[in-house]
Amino acid sequence: MSKLNPTDIQGFVLRGYNMPYARYCFLHFEDAERACTLIRHLLPIITTGQLWDQGKPHSTVNLAFTHQGLVSLDLPIATLISFPVEFQQGMQARGGILGDTGVNSVEGWDEVWREGKVHAWLGIHALSLEALDARSAEMQSLIAETGGARLLGNQDAASIVMDGKVTAKEHFGFTDGFGNPDYLGVCRSTQPGQGKLTADGTWAPLATGELLLGYADEAGELPVAPVPHLLASNGTFMVYRKLHQNVGTFRRFLDQWGARYGAGDGFAREKLASKFIGRWRDGTPVEVSPDRPDIGIVQDPNRSTNFTYGNDAAGTRCPIGAHIRRVNPRDAFGFQGKLINRRRITRRGLPYGPFALEDETSGTYDPSEMDATDRGVVFMALNASISRQFEFVQQQWIAYGNDAHLGNEKDLLMGSHSEGEKYAIQGDTSPANPPFFCTGLPNFVELRGGEYFFVPSITALGMIAMGLVDPR
Amino acid sequence: MANQSGSVYGLTLLSPILNDEHAVPSHDLQIRKYLATLPTGADSPFAIAPGTHLARLVVMDDVIYVGMPACEEHLNSKYLVFESNFDGDLDTYLAGLATTIPQHLDAIWSHCTGYPGAGDAQAFARYMKACQIDTTFFFAAVNDKSVTETLVALQTQRAVADFVATHQGVDPAQTQREFIEFIRILKVTPPPPPGIMGPHRNLKTGGRNE
Repeated sequence: MSKLNPTDIQGFVLRGYNMPYARYCFLHFEDAERACTLIRHLLPIITTGQLWDQGKPHSTVNLAFTHQGLVSLDLPIATLISFPVEFQQGMQARGGILGDTGVNSVEGWDEVWREGKVHAWLGIHALSLEALDARSAEMQSLIAETGGARLLGNQDAASIVMDGKVTAKEHFGFTDGFGNPDYLGVCRSTQPGQGKLTADGTWAPLATGELLLGYADEAGELPVAPVPHLLASNGTFMVYRKLHQNVGTFRRFLDQWGARYGAGDGFAREKLASKFIGRWRDGTPVEVSPDRPDIGIVQDPNRSTNFTYGNDAAGTRCPIGAHIRRVNPRDAFGFQGKLINRRRITRRGLPYGPFALEDETSGTYDPSEMDATDRGVVFMALNASISRQFEFVQQQWIAYGNDAHLGNEKDLLMGSHSEGEKYAIQGDTSPANPPFFCTGLPNFVELRGGEYFFVPSITALGMIAMGLVDPR
Repeated sequence: MANQSGSVYGLTLLSPILNDEHAVPSHDLQIRKYLATLPTGADSPFAIAPGTHLARLVVMDDVIYVGMPACEEHLNSKYLVFESNFDGDLDTYLAGLATTIPQHLDAIWSHCTGYPGAGDAQAFARYMKACQIDTTFFFAAVNDKSVTETLVALQTQRAVADFVATHQGVDPAQTQREFIEFIRILKVTPPPPPGIMGPHRNLKTGGRNE
């Protein structure tokens, strides 16, 4: 295994910052020379993967480019055409493969994504709103001074605060962000269940090349990467998707079916919600604790992600179609989990928009009005191969069900549903755990835009800024 | 047995394609053209002929030289490769093909050396068997159910799921009454014809995604 150089890798790639505020700025380059000047000025500011011995900084800055962005930066054509095809095409052109149709098609996207003018993503994360604004102002004046880019728009995102406390909740009320994989050489506090399953049932980190370009992946191959090697090495690809959440629709669906599930009371409604996701709202894995949420499990790093589905082939504990079982099937497909090791992604992201407490909506509420509120999650996935990892998960495990023996069924939460689809909850003979079908599935989540980005190493950013990218 | 997996037979045929330098276009191109226009859904010849789970027709031009240090080799002929997974025994299957889709067989195999035509069922079977090679390594997704049984099972699964979904919480006596009626109707409902792949999937496939 190669030793990683954290000073050469963008910090956003190596770790989730766990900062409550973020602003994602979308840039358009009008002049290659001026854009390179801007990048040169940004270089010493970019947050790297170096450990924060002195504590967290107040804010961080990271930078990534679309393929159109790299074209605008005048990279050599031999380099530009060496990028993987899906990155060259961009997310909009991949809509057919991703199932981004119907309510998820480009017609419903935010203007900034419809036009396809985004060249760069400038990601700012901060510990406070003041630090976020200060850093944004600094970036804006850099952009203005150099004339390096036009700011097309910002996307603000922030952790949901409940009772004055920053949480890891998303708008449907679930605690999120458990399942990121470990990679060889990437230093982070690790816990069982986050890497790959080994033959003896323990967990090991995934090959570095599943996250970073320039290293061997799970097949012992180097991921497809642009030339020259130095441009690609220590970089990765990022999928950015703005996912709108129809909170009113979700709550109405829970009300409607929760009243018919089990005892039909408040607890049955919560249990039903857990059967949709595979975690109770507090994050307790249903596979570990199918009968009740248990905060003790959530807070125990040895248990919160440490489970498999091998002894639950029928799905009577965690349904076969539950969201977290679909997108990270662990050992559910047999072969000790080997079939999924090249399909893992690292997730970053934060919610956006105002949070609506469930208590506030009990009784009378207008679902369509709640749906209309602009809120959801900024989903960002990092992977060495967008087509092999993110696109595969999206296409085969979210938009299709064959691998899970679910035929044409789509993921309940993320799928773009059509007439006649159902969600099956496997059960047993216990009255508290009945088999159950939900029908008339609405679209809980709608895509509002996004793009594929290349997240270069610090070295590669310097090469780009100085016009030193030489594919020969 | 190399050609058998459970109740499914795995047939592999290699038929040498006529090498006639006066033919314009050449016979392999004529086969390719015909295959390219064959329907793949319910009108596919293999949906019309009985018993096929999965079939594939391929024109094999030559072995490909991959460069040093491999040695350069060539086939003596171009071949038509026919692979098929089907129910029952080979003789019955070949007879079924000759009876139900002779015009397709003749249009394709008439470009192959020594093909006698599907009109003479015995000569046809002799010819196909002469072209057969052992399948040796063969995977069948479903190897314990016939095509019809599989179609009935899928139909039943969909219908039962729909029934359950519409009868959750309904009075048990009424559910039982309606279930008996449901089963009566299901039993006499013919299965969908082969080659209909269920609801249309609005998803592009291909590339490295599948």
